[in-house]
Amino acid sequence: MRNRFMSSAAALLVLMACSCVTFAQTYGTKGYSPGAWKPDELPSGLSNPKPFDPHNLSGLWSMPTKPGYFERHSLNDKPIKIAPNVPPQMGSDAYPPPMTPWGKAKFDAAKVSYGPRAVPPGEGNDPVSTCEPMGYPRDLWEANLRPFEFVQTPDRVLQHMQYHDLWRTIWTDGRQLPKNPDPGWNGYSVGRWEGDTFVVESNGYDDRTWIDHFGNPHSDQMRLVERYKRVDADTLELDMILTDPKTYTAPWVGDKITFVRAKVAIFEEICSPSEEGHFNDTIRDPAVGKSKP
Amino acid sequence: MKPKLITSLALIVALVMVSAPLLAHHGTGVAYVRDKEVTLKGTVTEWFWANPHCGLLFDVTDDKGEVVHWGAELGNPHSLSEAGFSRDAFKPGDKLTITGHPAKSGAPRLELLHLVLADGRVLPERSVKGNGVHLDDPGQ
Repeated sequence: MRNRFMSSAAALLVLMACSCVTFAQTYGTKGYSPGAWKPDELPSGLSNPKPFDPHNLSGLWSMPTKPGYFERHSLNDKPIKIAPNVPPQMGSDAYPPPMTPWGKAKFDAAKVSYGPRAVPPGEGNDPVSTCEPMGYPRDLWEANLRPFEFVQTPDRVLQHMQYHDLWRTIWTDGRQLPKNPDPGWNGYSVGRWEGDTFVVESNGYDDRTWIDHFGNPHSDQMRLVERYKRVDADTLELDMILTDPKTYTAPWVGDKITFVRAKVAIFEEICSPSEEGHFNDTIRDPAVGKSKP
Repeated sequence: MKPKLITSLALIVALVMVSAPLLAHHGTGVAYVRDKEVTLKGTVTEWFWANPHCGLLFDVTDDKGEVVHWGAELGNPHSLSEAGFSRDAFKPGDKLTITGHPAKSGAPRLELLHLVLADGRVLPERSVKGNGVHLDDPGQ
């Protein structure tokens, strides 16, 4: 009797586990039989054909998880196989323009834990490993797992990232970018509407942050131009161009990013330096044979 | 005998499928051997519930009777909560059976896959992504 119960329980667990995998691959098919259509085969916005104000970006957004879609972690989103036993979803390669000697030296100094140059975090120097600010745009790539939100006020649009609780202020009161700003972790941003496209320009970024977890660098000369456009009630597109003549010999034109209405709540996800320090001392560093002096 | 074998196999398959995606976080794929597993019986010395990574320290007595201080790497508190863990899930002295991917360096550290408590309860209870989303929730 007990064996039968255990067999049934185990079979149920297997079924649940199998269905996890199946359901995880059916993003966007709500209202349809899971697996009947691939998400790319569905008309855009079909499942939620509701009216929207194209000048209202408010609310939670994240990148969709789709079958065969590699988690995006940079301006470009071409997949890369990292290692035989690491799922390719864990990384996507970045394709920056050719670097200047200054940029190449900075890139070479970055000891990363993702992509072809990956070393264990305990041997790396990724600022995030010690809870240093991720800065912008790096924090934006976290939207492949966590949501971010736009909050619109009469004179500003606030972009709030769940990861590290980053708040970016985009001024919409008509001011211009500062001429010679002191660098900030998240730079200085101004926004304006061009038709139904919200155009954000920014500068004044602190060069200690990385553009992505592949260690692609930037200088304090980096400028971003971002063009956000709602294409339907639940879809927001972003085109981003990065220029940084001190680091790259040409503008870095990103692949279009599609955000969808996040189906998850935003919650606190602080990176606590003291707590991560304890984790580094007791787990991450010992894992590579380093111990605290 | 046969039902028992099927039960065991099914449980193993289920556990592997349920727990594998839980621990996808910063750079772990590089530090641990993802195609190997170790299972250890240990006694908890410290459990810390911390942002952005939780950790479990435990002692294991090896074949020679020597006590080895082990540690297991886990994900962020939110995703672990969704998977059935909690701040007070373990206390020093608790006996656990712990399975994970061993460190590439050979150091006594592992990336946790799943563990069994003294009362037979298994954690994680379900599979979640790093953002805490249940993988059995369609549309996420």
